[in-house]
Amino acid sequence: MEILSLFPAWLLEQGPAFVIVLPLLMGAITAILPSRTLAWWTALVVTLLCTVTAFALLLQVYSEGASLYTMGGWDPPHGISLVIDALSAPVLFLIAAMAVVTVIYAMPATIAEVEPKKRAPFYAAFLLCFAGLMGMVVTGDAFNVFVFLEVSSISTYALVAMGAARDRRALTAAYNYLIMGSIGATFFVIGLGFMFMETGTLNMADMSRILADLDGGSRVAKVGFGFIIIGLGLKLAMFPLHTWLPGAYAYAPTKVTVFLASTATKAALYLLLRFTFTVFDPSFDYVAVVLKYILIGVGVVGMVFASLQAIFQTDARRTLAYSSVAQVGYMLLGVGLATAAGIAAGYLHLLNHAIIKGGLFLAMGAFWYRFGITRIQDFSGLSKTMPWTMGAFMLSGLSLIGVPFTAGFVSKVNLTIAAADKGWWWAVGVIVVTSVLAIIYIGRILLAAYFGSPPLIDGQPAKKNEAPLMMLIPMWFLAVLSIAVGSNILGLGDDFVMASERAAALLTGQGG
Amino acid sequence: MTENNTPDTLTKKELEERQNAHPFAVPFLWLGNQKVIDNFIWFPVLGMIAMIALGIVYPQKHPAPWDVVPGSWAIIGFAAYTFIVLCAKPLTALLARDEDYYGEGGLPDPEYSTEHTAHEHGGDHHD
Amino acid sequence: MIDIFQVNPGLWLILAGVICAFVPKGDLGGWARKALVIGAPIFAGIMITQIYTSQEVLAGKINIGGLELTTLRIDNLSMVWGYLFCLIGVLNGIFGLHEKCRITDSSALIYAGAAIAGVLSGDLLTLFLFWELTAISSVFLIWKGGEHAYAAGIRYLALHVLSGVLLLAGAIMYANANGGDYMFNNIGLDVPGGWLILLAIGIKCGFPFLHMWMQDAYPKASITGTVILSAFTTKMAIYALARGYVGTDILIYIGAVMTCFPVFFALIENDLRRVLSFSLNNQLGFMVCGIGIGTELALNGVVGQVFVHVIFKSLLFMSIGAVMYRVGTAKASELGGLFRSMPFTAIFCLIGAGSIAAFPLLAAFVTKAMIISAVIYEASHGHPGLYVIAGMLLFASAGVMEHSGIKVPYFTFFSHDSGRRVKEAPWNMLVAMGLASALCIFLAFPWGGYQMLYSLMPYDSSGYTPYTVDHVVFQLQLLFAAISAFCVLKKLKLYPAEKRAEILDFDWTYRKLGLGIVRWIGAMWTRLGISMTRLRDRAISGTGRRLYQMFSPAGAMSEDAPSGLAAVLTAAMLILVLIFVYFVR
Repeated sequence: MEILSLFPAWLLEQGPAFVIVLPLLMGAITAILPSRTLAWWTALVVTLLCTVTAFALLLQVYSEGASLYTMGGWDPPHGISLVIDALSAPVLFLIAAMAVVTVIYAMPATIAEVEPKKRAPFYAAFLLCFAGLMGMVVTGDAFNVFVFLEVSSISTYALVAMGAARDRRALTAAYNYLIMGSIGATFFVIGLGFMFMETGTLNMADMSRILADLDGGSRVAKVGFGFIIIGLGLKLAMFPLHTWLPGAYAYAPTKVTVFLASTATKAALYLLLRFTFTVFDPSFDYVAVVLKYILIGVGVVGMVFASLQAIFQTDARRTLAYSSVAQVGYMLLGVGLATAAGIAAGYLHLLNHAIIKGGLFLAMGAFWYRFGITRIQDFSGLSKTMPWTMGAFMLSGLSLIGVPFTAGFVSKVNLTIAAADKGWWWAVGVIVVTSVLAIIYIGRILLAAYFGSPPLIDGQPAKKNEAPLMMLIPMWFLAVLSIAVGSNILGLGDDFVMASERAAALLTGQGG
Repeated sequence: MTENNTPDTLTKKELEERQNAHPFAVPFLWLGNQKVIDNFIWFPVLGMIAMIALGIVYPQKHPAPWDVVPGSWAIIGFAAYTFIVLCAKPLTALLARDEDYYGEGGLPDPEYSTEHTAHEHGGDHHD
Repeated sequence: MIDIFQVNPGLWLILAGVICAFVPKGDLGGWARKALVIGAPIFAGIMITQIYTSQEVLAGKINIGGLELTTLRIDNLSMVWGYLFCLIGVLNGIFGLHEKCRITDSSALIYAGAAIAGVLSGDLLTLFLFWELTAISSVFLIWKGGEHAYAAGIRYLALHVLSGVLLLAGAIMYANANGGDYMFNNIGLDVPGGWLILLAIGIKCGFPFLHMWMQDAYPKASITGTVILSAFTTKMAIYALARGYVGTDILIYIGAVMTCFPVFFALIENDLRRVLSFSLNNQLGFMVCGIGIGTELALNGVVGQVFVHVIFKSLLFMSIGAVMYRVGTAKASELGGLFRSMPFTAIFCLIGAGSIAAFPLLAAFVTKAMIISAVIYEASHGHPGLYVIAGMLLFASAGVMEHSGIKVPYFTFFSHDSGRRVKEAPWNMLVAMGLASALCIFLAFPWGGYQMLYSLMPYDSSGYTPYTVDHVVFQLQLLFAAISAFCVLKKLKLYPAEKRAEILDFDWTYRKLGLGIVRWIGAMWTRLGISMTRLRDRAISGTGRRLYQMFSPAGAMSEDAPSGLAAVLTAAMLILVLIFVYFVR
């Protein structure tokens, strides 16, 4: 590929380590930086560099195939390895790109939402969280996954708690998240312990090979698998383990919410795919059973229940948060189908949902920034007071519903077709019903905004008060991107579908 | 036109009624007269009797079983109507609730539902 | 270049509706919108005349992903609906001339366009698309009724979107069993998906227990909104029935029940627009029943009935709308004696009432009898059970006389004088009502009028003559008897006075019962959460408690399901997974 040759060779060679080490290092430095602006610039440059690297790695995977990076030259299984393949590269790029988007947005947003003296640590915690997520995705070592999971989680708790400057409830939410996240991580590490007992290795590829030799392994492996699934399930907000999510999303600073919503749960879902399909194998009885009954079961129940809960929320941020739980259900349904088409649809929804929900939360933050509102009833007339922000919100909202020519439509249609191919008409029904529910909860907000009249301030209708440009650019970028993916502008739709198909092909063992 | 040949015999009340009514309705104000209302019943009853008589002369070409009885449709009409109306009382007792039973009360939006405020506001509302 | 004869004429209205949405405010923009509202249906009607030939025209074929869609089909069945919708679109446009509201204009056009496009579509997928579009575009008309209409609009939307989903599901099953053929022809109940599609249609045309949305939403819409709504949705559903389910026996019984039950509700209802909605439901029953009979005579009757019904039902809604516009309410208990101030409206309302009650020389007289005759004919030719149905239809005819023929005009314009002296309706409303009244008279005119109506019918109708002595005489027997009964009951003071009340209907099950259950579950869930927290609080050590208190500042409300409950859930999920891993094969 032509573009690939523009990148220096060392970047491609050392890239996998670079994207982890750079933010980790700079995170530590940022914490002691004296100036908020300097911290911001650092974060921006770091995330930009990582994005470029991730993009290069992505191109490299598609042109030259998967690559294995060995830390310090120690070969696996003894050394730590980093794996870049068709499954990890798109998620890596997604996380890095979303980080850039949110950092740009953070410039005005943090001023409003975070206490002045906490702003530099805020960026430091953000970079650590970022490094953790990147590490979770690239590492090929199971124990490293746990380490990076904790790195990102612990910094996330701190980030959520920083929302206390605007809403004290952020503290409770952070506490809830802390408890649940710790339980999840503990479960995960217990599961890893079992797996180590069974296989004697922590390298994923090694583990996979030994498990296949053992034909799935003994009861120890089964218990280990159970713990890993639940541990990851907590992290990715699988229904009914999602209870930490609405609070954390609703009360964290907007930038954090956006970043979490579009990357953290996605990285956890990536790990779920990695473990169930490459470390374990759906051909083992117990994996197939869990896929078929547990993932599909909680996926479907979650889709319906969380959508219903979203409808009854009064706080718009919580509505979106519950909607996230419902969208996780779609992804789990796709994964649980365990066919190439199903996984591809789930993976595609993972990518699309990150873009869509990111856009929605960005707009939500802008509403708060200008008017300090989060309740749906206060949205009345926002289309007049903040037309551009509301416009971006509407586009992303339509995409979430799955209106034709939007990203949400593409992934929902693919998921529907995958379910129909398998003859699961009831699943098609559930998808349609939950889409209708999505119409209702998004429609409520849009109705208030477009048909309500602006509130009166001192007897005058509230004046037009648009969000700053630094906020508008990221949210319109995401809104337009979701339309571009849905309408296949610049071939973006095809690119996304291709990425998801290659990831699915890798998982179902058809090359890649 | 009607004002010109107003009979002098009208009471004050009747005059007032004429003035308030739509000009086109003036010749029909007798419809509100109590005597007319009381005696209106003769119109349908006589009509019904006439039609029953005609029905005997001109029977149904494709009779249903009940058409052997003279005036069958009149009987059906009368019985059905009475039955329906008499059902009102038990049904009301069973089904009627307070107007704000569902708690969705609120009045119809005056801007769209009536003329009253529409005239004051003029222009496009919610446009 | 697109061949405009390949374009479904409904799309022109939709296009006009979209343009309307962007026409700027102000007087000039207002008049431009009104010109579109009236001009677009006329143009669409002209297009239908240009495309229609005596044979079936299939056009507008589009190939999407291997599916061939026939977006336009005009034959002698769909053509009637096409013309009718264009006609009523114009009348509604005139009626709404005074209302300067962009949303109403735009959604009315899109809604009417979707209905026209729906009936003129040739396959089930295209039908589905417009089926949903009618629902989505029309809900704005309901919401324009004001705040109290919001919840009703949501319920309306939910039911109608559900109907569309059922239609789609049924269509896919039907086409799968049919070798991928989505053409919308006779479906019946014996094929896969047949019941689903029937259910979808049933929601739209108000089968018993699926009817509640109509009486719920229509009376709450804005004045013009109700008039527009009453014309399209349900008649589109009748078209779908007439296309797909001719001669399906179960429809006879459904239809008969549909004619009878609304009669009782209409009697005790106070809101006259809701009375008319029940009356609409009852009229649809006649049509459903006729489709169930399925003979040529019955189908002719159905088509004729649909045509005149749309006109006189709109006329009635218009007259009550005009009253509401001037008085501010449509509640029977608040009205009365209005003929003194709104004489023209009163006359038009009486014409509408006479038409729906099937007085000779007025519209329904020449059509409703066809359906009843068809039932009696079938009954006397080997299906004696159908006499019961014929009896029910006669009973319902008396019922129509009660609620629409007598109650609506009587309580509005006569009855005791409410003392209200208002202005006559605006000129544009009078024009619209006048045109509709003229049509009601013309389409039943014995010398050249009804023949035109009959020439629209899909089968040869020369064998049926409405104006025979026996028909006139027996119909008048029924009507005079009903009026006599009314007078007698009035004299005996047995006729119930109008009372303000909310009348419960089947929607109570979800508006009260369902909501109650959901609330109860919610309350229980909260309680469970609280007791779990309490359990945990007791269980955790002092350090944990201090930690908890540190992170839970006073005033910070914890609305989330607390982590105590969540932790228990996690354990439960783990056990569940382990059970599956171990025991399920």
